[in-house]
Amino acid sequence: MLKKIALAASLFSATALASNAVQADVKIGLLGGISGPIAAMAPPMLDAAQLAFQQVNEQGGILGGQKIEAVVGDSACNPQNGVDSATKLVNIEQVVGLVGPHCSGSVLAVANSVTVPAGITLITPSGTSPEITSLEDKGQVFRTVPSDDFQGRSLARTLLDLGTKKVAVAYLNNDYGSGLANAFKVEFEANGGELAGYAAHEEGKASYRSNLAELSRGGAETLVIFDYGDGTGLTILRQALENGFFTNFLGGDGMKSDAIIRELGAENLTTFTASSPVGEKSDSLESFNEAYKAAGGNPDAIFVSNSYDAAFLMALALEKAGGDAAKVSAAMTAVSNGEGESVGPGEWTKAAELIAAGKDIDYKGASGDLNFNKAGDVPGSYGLFKVEGDAFALQQALN
Amino acid sequence: MELIGLLNYAVFMAIFIGIYSLLALGLNIQWGFSGLFNAGIAGFFAVGAYTSALLTTPESSVHLGGYQLPVVVGWIGAMIAAGLIAWPIGKVCLRFRSDYLAIATIGVAEIIRLVVKSEGWMTGGARGVNKVPRPFGDLSYLYSQLAYLALVIGIVLIVYWAIERQISAPWGRMMRGIRDNEDAATAMGKDIKARRLEAFIFGAAVMGLGGALFAHFNRSITPEAIDPMIATFLIWIMLILGGSGNNRGALLGVAVVWIIWSASEFVTDQLPTEYAIKAKYMRVFIIGLLLQIVLRFRPEGILPEPQGTADNPELKTFQKQEGAAK
Repeated sequence: MLKKIALAASLFSATALASNAVQADVKIGLLGGISGPIAAMAPPMLDAAQLAFQQVNEQGGILGGQKIEAVVGDSACNPQNGVDSATKLVNIEQVVGLVGPHCSGSVLAVANSVTVPAGITLITPSGTSPEITSLEDKGQVFRTVPSDDFQGRSLARTLLDLGTKKVAVAYLNNDYGSGLANAFKVEFEANGGELAGYAAHEEGKASYRSNLAELSRGGAETLVIFDYGDGTGLTILRQALENGFFTNFLGGDGMKSDAIIRELGAENLTTFTASSPVGEKSDSLESFNEAYKAAGGNPDAIFVSNSYDAAFLMALALEKAGGDAAKVSAAMTAVSNGEGESVGPGEWTKAAELIAAGKDIDYKGASGDLNFNKAGDVPGSYGLFKVEGDAFALQQALN
Repeated sequence: MELIGLLNYAVFMAIFIGIYSLLALGLNIQWGFSGLFNAGIAGFFAVGAYTSALLTTPESSVHLGGYQLPVVVGWIGAMIAAGLIAWPIGKVCLRFRSDYLAIATIGVAEIIRLVVKSEGWMTGGARGVNKVPRPFGDLSYLYSQLAYLALVIGIVLIVYWAIERQISAPWGRMMRGIRDNEDAATAMGKDIKARRLEAFIFGAAVMGLGGALFAHFNRSITPEAIDPMIATFLIWIMLILGGSGNNRGALLGVAVVWIIWSASEFVTDQLPTEYAIKAKYMRVFIIGLLLQIVLRFRPEGILPEPQGTADNPELKTFQKQEGAAK
């Protein structure tokens, strides 16, 4: 074992020497599921986070003119690589804050064995598992995406308000799908709704007709789909439409994807609605959309606005904490708690001036108002979207 | 860069090498000494990790458990559970040979993964099991890691010693005999089925222990950890590269592959930022290339299995008799 440690030490000190050549001013870790199951989703998310850092750097930099350097790590969406990469970012790169990882399982493992013991604040843009709320994290774990609990529940209440009492639920068997479905089920049944079918499905199959036939046997006319619209969710929706298993369709935020309109055609989607987080101040979202489009990205891609917010918040919190990693978690709550002067995406100069003047600021994010609660969660505000023309349009806000 | 950071990273790497060593040693019993092509390591890893997690966690509304047993009980339970699961699997599958057995065990590992994901009442489903206690977890970052490393080293040494003993005992020679010439072993009246089953269960129990150590280190276990790439094939690469049939080779293979896997990220990070995302795939490529090179130029691994050398007393006596006969 001693030999191994010696070998380890010599090997990475050699590589570390090389990586020290460029000394950045402020290093922030950017950990995402680059390889692995969400490989298609991760690059736009990382680009959005980089956009936030780029804006900070262009508008005078952080902590009195220093530049942010994002160090990208690959969590591969599993705890093994997530912990490995986070350990490197925290110990070797000495980052002062961590944006990511993307997948809930990685978030749990990284928080438990790296960032919390090391006293580094972590903010994830897409870890939606309810388990993250109950982490014993000394307040150092945040997220800009609401826990699946919130969305599932508000969707259930809205459906009941609209008079739909009987539905079938098809959900993707991962933390995202099952978390949403579970919360939906609890709230729906508690308030007098009836689930005529409730089944998980695995991703990547060619046909889900047997699953759908099974679900439709309960006699529900509405199918609720918790899945991704550019993946399995598209197949399910297509086959349900083709075979007429259900008349009405409702999706979670993952289903609000342009791929659905592109592939199935708006004329076939008159009975399809999707819930999705909405920013209460929509000009926040718009200014992000413009900036992200200008940078060559597609602002409708999933979790990009959450990613941007996570990165921008990390920069704000660092500025507020004066660069002290230990104070970042307190500062994170302070810069988005609903009190103080509003700051929107990209308004770095304004925010930095306000912080320098000792005034409170309140970041209004592209993905919503944010406003962290004690557990570092955001409540999220949702809207129901229907297809109009070739895009999604807000139909009504959820309560 | 601070020295303490380097130390933290080194200790972390050593812990992971220790955990993966258990998986590789378990595979070495099955493949290295007994010739059983088990491609379902992830399954036994998962059984061990979940058993230990469920036995030791506080009560939760999401999954089974609330037993809050001591961690040691969890680890022993993990070995027993992985062994128990291996028994019926071995009973059914070990009649297959080589690649057929590989396909069967891949299937079994997938079944275990899907059961873990789907049976939420038991495993917490996709949410996994959280709040798994870590021994010495209350200490500061460095000391907590050092204490855990000491535990892992201790366990690896015990397992290593146990396997070495078992392999140099008559049982081990018989296993190698069965592996190399099944017909001859049958002719000598060996119960091949039973012996293979023993090796399979022994190996699976060691893998289960590896899974348990992993779950307690991360204080959580989720189905995302049961990824065949990182929990099955990576271990195969480690064992083949280090030298199957040689426990020291297995440990060396784990260290070499994990260090390359982990530290290569520093090298790929030297590429310009516009390649930052593509660069991450370089690591997977490097590992694959390494395996190809080893298989091409040194198929027996870095430290090959010792073949009838000086430290084999029986062979010496045999050679002496041969010489005397001449």
